[in-house]
Amino acid sequence: MTEEKLVCKNIVKTYGKTDVLQNVDLELEKGKIYGLIGRNGAGKTTLLSILSAQNPATKGTVTCNGMPVWENREALEHICFSREINPMGTTGQGNAYRVKDYLRAAAWYMPNWDKEMAERLVKEFNLDTKKKVMKLSKGMLSMLTIVIALASKADYTFLDEPVAGLDVVMREYFYRVLLEEFTESGRTFVISTHIIEEAADIFEEVIMIDKGKIIVKENTQDLLDRAVHVSGKAEEVDAATSGLNAMRVEKMGRSKGVTVLLKEGESVQKNADITVQPVSLQQLFVAMCGKEVG
Amino acid sequence: MNEFLTQEKSIYLQISEMIENDILRDILLEEERVPSTNELAKLYAINPATAAKGINILVEQGVLYKKRGIGMFVATGAKNMIKKRRQEEFFDNYIKRLLEEAESLGITKEDLIAMIERER
Repeated sequence: MTEEKLVCKNIVKTYGKTDVLQNVDLELEKGKIYGLIGRNGAGKTTLLSILSAQNPATKGTVTCNGMPVWENREALEHICFSREINPMGTTGQGNAYRVKDYLRAAAWYMPNWDKEMAERLVKEFNLDTKKKVMKLSKGMLSMLTIVIALASKADYTFLDEPVAGLDVVMREYFYRVLLEEFTESGRTFVISTHIIEEAADIFEEVIMIDKGKIIVKENTQDLLDRAVHVSGKAEEVDAATSGLNAMRVEKMGRSKGVTVLLKEGESVQKNADITVQPVSLQQLFVAMCGKEVG
Repeated sequence: MNEFLTQEKSIYLQISEMIENDILRDILLEEERVPSTNELAKLYAINPATAAKGINILVEQGVLYKKRGIGMFVATGAKNMIKKRRQEEFFDNYIKRLLEEAESLGITKEDLIAMIERER
């Protein structure tokens, strides 16, 4: 038997002359929540759309449990990519569908659709099913994509920016519903987000994508355990971090701060002249994918 | 168990510390069941694998033990075990830092001892 996994190998996606994805290799295991983080235009949505065969790769292969996903109904039954809904529709005429039409269509497409769950979530999100999709607010559109993703019951479920547009109370609610569904079902979720700080604790693994390349795929806690911020007098900081992988150097007068990603066995020699602090996922992301400062 | 999680420390370390605190404060008693990883995951909105990592630290130390099919329990003697370990770590966690800060402020050893005596 082949292992249950979603695997993409050597994915290249080119739009015109731009390589949006460059030789991406990725393996998604069953029963994990992955966080997909990257700056705008890094290739997150393109990657998710290729993994779910909504978009053909220029090069490379995607397989689900050993089966190629492209135009393969059997493989695609395991995958749901709940995309951001464009309220104006694809025709530009405006989207005349109502929420309930959307849900009915989703139920028709998704072989494992959980109608009860969809109804429960619609109720808890206070979504008016009679409302036209084009009349929904940004937050309500997010809720609709979340309902579709969760009720799809697909083994591999991708959510692209699910919390964009949700207020903080609804975001917290979403994380809890997600965790509940995850612990009960053992499905795999990939969630892209720009709100890194509050979602970091949800992710078992984090996938960082920068300019079309995956630069990190690691257990979130392990990654954070090896990231530290060192600051103090410049010479002292240099001495403490010499030979280490120092990123994002900030300087101000005699003072200096660096974010360091330690390798196995490395450590920063602590002393009274420097401050060594833990780094959050968001801070690490900025250090790795952000612009240099100073 | 209802403390807030902070950014200052790994989440799983905070989970194990919170359980330890609850044992020290008799919120969790010896031979009592502790919340499951899924319950902790839901309470704190964290990944269950992270909650499990925090619990496993305590299992390795013998503070918690697993009853098959039922869950995790506080071991007999856990409270003492935690106290002893924290006493051992007291020097590194508190005294060392205290001395460093005192040194950078020019507070002498005699001053420090006088301060402690005054407080006691």
